[in-house]
Amino acid sequence: MKQRLFILSTALLAALACAGAHPGDITNWLQAPASTTAVEVRHSFFLTLILIAPFLLAAEGLLLFVIFRFRAKPGREPAKFHENTRLEIAWTVAPALVLIVIAVSTYKLIESINYSPASDIQVEVTGQRFFWKYTYPEYGLTISDEPLVVPENKVVTLLGTSVDVIHSWWVPALGIKKDVLPGRITEAWFKARRGTYKGQCAELCGPLHAEMLIDVKVVSEDEFKSWIRSKQAELAVPSAAAPADSSAAKPADSTGTATGRQ
Amino acid sequence: MSDSPERKKYPAFFEWLTTGDHKKIGIMYLWFALFMALVGGGLAGAIRAQLASPDSGLMRPELYNMSISMHATLMIFFMIIPAWVGFGNYFVPLLIGARDMAFPRLNAFAFWLAVPAAVLILSSFLVVGGSIQTGWTAYPPLSLKAFSAGAGTDMWILGIIIAGTASVLAAINFIVTTANMRAPGMTWLKMPLFVWAWFVNATLILIATPVLSSALAMLLTDRLFGTTFLTVGSGGDPLLYQHLFWFYSHPAVYIMILPGFGVISHVVAAFSRKRVFGYRGMVTALALIGIIGYMVWAHHMFVSGIPAWLQVFFSYASMVIAVPTGIKVFSWLATIWGGTIRFSTPMKFALGFIGLFVLGGMSGIMLANVPIDYQVHDSYFVVAHFHYVLVGGSVMAILAATYYWFPKMSGRFLSEKLGTWIFWLIFVGINITFFPQHILGIQGMARRIFTYRPEFTALNRVSSFGYLFLLLGGLLLVWDLLRQAFFRKGSLPDDPWQVNDIQHTLDWAVASPPPEYNFEEIPVIK
Repeated sequence: MKQRLFILSTALLAALACAGAHPGDITNWLQAPASTTAVEVRHSFFLTLILIAPFLLAAEGLLLFVIFRFRAKPGREPAKFHENTRLEIAWTVAPALVLIVIAVSTYKLIESINYSPASDIQVEVTGQRFFWKYTYPEYGLTISDEPLVVPENKVVTLLGTSVDVIHSWWVPALGIKKDVLPGRITEAWFKARRGTYKGQCAELCGPLHAEMLIDVKVVSEDEFKSWIRSKQAELAVPSAAAPADSSAAKPADSTGTATGRQ
Repeated sequence: MSDSPERKKYPAFFEWLTTGDHKKIGIMYLWFALFMALVGGGLAGAIRAQLASPDSGLMRPELYNMSISMHATLMIFFMIIPAWVGFGNYFVPLLIGARDMAFPRLNAFAFWLAVPAAVLILSSFLVVGGSIQTGWTAYPPLSLKAFSAGAGTDMWILGIIIAGTASVLAAINFIVTTANMRAPGMTWLKMPLFVWAWFVNATLILIATPVLSSALAMLLTDRLFGTTFLTVGSGGDPLLYQHLFWFYSHPAVYIMILPGFGVISHVVAAFSRKRVFGYRGMVTALALIGIIGYMVWAHHMFVSGIPAWLQVFFSYASMVIAVPTGIKVFSWLATIWGGTIRFSTPMKFALGFIGLFVLGGMSGIMLANVPIDYQVHDSYFVVAHFHYVLVGGSVMAILAATYYWFPKMSGRFLSEKLGTWIFWLIFVGINITFFPQHILGIQGMARRIFTYRPEFTALNRVSSFGYLFLLLGGLLLVWDLLRQAFFRKGSLPDDPWQVNDIQHTLDWAVASPPPEYNFEEIPVIK
């Protein structure tokens, strides 16, 4: 019995050790929260854990205690009691009080997760099997199947929808997960520090669901501006014309005429 | 068994095929559930083999999605629920002192509906395009014709509707039997807890299952006849399906655990040689769990875009369930307190159940907390949570019931020596397989994926390794069950566990196995 418990606990510890072997994993919202929301969610996680841990320990501890304490032995008679109103009231009221604390502590956070503060930048997220499309309406820019780039310490509001099935935009380090559904617009927001964060689609959407990955680059404001400019230029080129010469000549021409007129 | 002479003309096979005897029907449900457990458990092995490394390439993504969908479908609808219907069928009439269920033919009909439903669902693997690939939730639009064209999806939907109909018929039978056929003197508050658990359970099935059937009927007509209940762009709404689906499927988790609560009360009391502590509290808790179980379905939809006030309501309601559940756990512990414990195999499984179920319940509270759920929803944390509750809870309770009642059903004990091995293999296996999944989920591994980021490899390997324990334990159990049921002879006394001086339930007051119609004279309860 004791040996088996030893083997079991060793196995569990080994599992935990394996888990700790990847502290650098940046999808981990508990070890490296990258947004204001993720930080608050981590607090809520630990608060909940601390509040329910006594009950977990009490139940499992009592279970082990009774197992070892009340084995059948020759000459020992089982007790006869089978009621104790006070005890029953106690173990009804105590968990209820703790749950009230947990519930109240989450109220504000639920609100803040769901309602974006004044937004600095908006991004329209479109899920499509099996990639993501991001539109920056303020800059008239749409990119697809490449990392989302946003400025640091700005409130980024995401307005999501889908063109086919339900997907879910999930970046653990940012504290965000939100379904995007066809025919509806869902909203999420974050305010993050600089870094590169990984995520993926969290709602089964078809064969390549597992490969519908997300990358987010949170960069400084300047980098963001220059990224926007380079993207706009890059996307403007193919729209002008296919041969590189004529496309280069055209703007020069128009500038020329303009100057000529002056 | 004292059969009348004209019955003897038929071979045993025909006798089983046409029986209306609640005990035979119960046994058939149990073999049915065991067979499905083997198929569903085999699929679990395939899933864990695929996930043993991020690029194992064992299965095409389509086949992987079929495997996860079918694993869940078989385990929920064709293993756990039928196993409880089996035990309920056998023991509810016995425990209330009745000679049979209220409607024996309806009872047989319900079982013989479940069988073709299973055949239909399993054969969906054979049609062009294969079986359902949408997960057992079958959310539209993914499950609509545009994205899941194959007939396999239609067969799955029909199969679930038929199986649901079967369980509604069974539930009606349980409710009527319990309400009307109790032996004289057995008041509601003298009913054994397993009967109470099944009564609450049957009420849940009766109210919830038709809602699932209507959601699936909408899905089916959208797929086949061009209706647009759920089709976006023609006025339909995929969220409607989610609300209806979880209105059934959340109570379904209680449908899978409530009879277990009942069995654990019996076993814990019997093997501590004490009466159940706080009987009235236990009954109240069962009823409360049944009622609150209806007010929490949207906690599966926190990230789906439902408004914040709804999230708050469903979050708080979900947490409240922890209170009656806590009452049950503490009452079991108080039942054992001061007792003299015999560690027979049923008791081992019951104690293992309490230990694992508590852990599953705790992660349930974390999931009820909306901000945490925003992180771990649809991640492996959820997979860990519900496997602790369903394998550590429901399956452990089914095993406790199997070991506890097998002597009554067959007149033979299952091997205690093997039972000890099986218990430790399964108990350790559950922890090695499912505990690491909590951490994987927290680290950010999504569920229902056939490949994952390389960071998750180590823990996935641990999890896949744990499956081997479960497999070995399961196979040993099957071997012992087949061996004892078909190749051993024996006749045990009425009360082989020697519990009835404490427990006073009628199942141990008849022969093992009980004669046809159970009681020569209907017992009177004082």
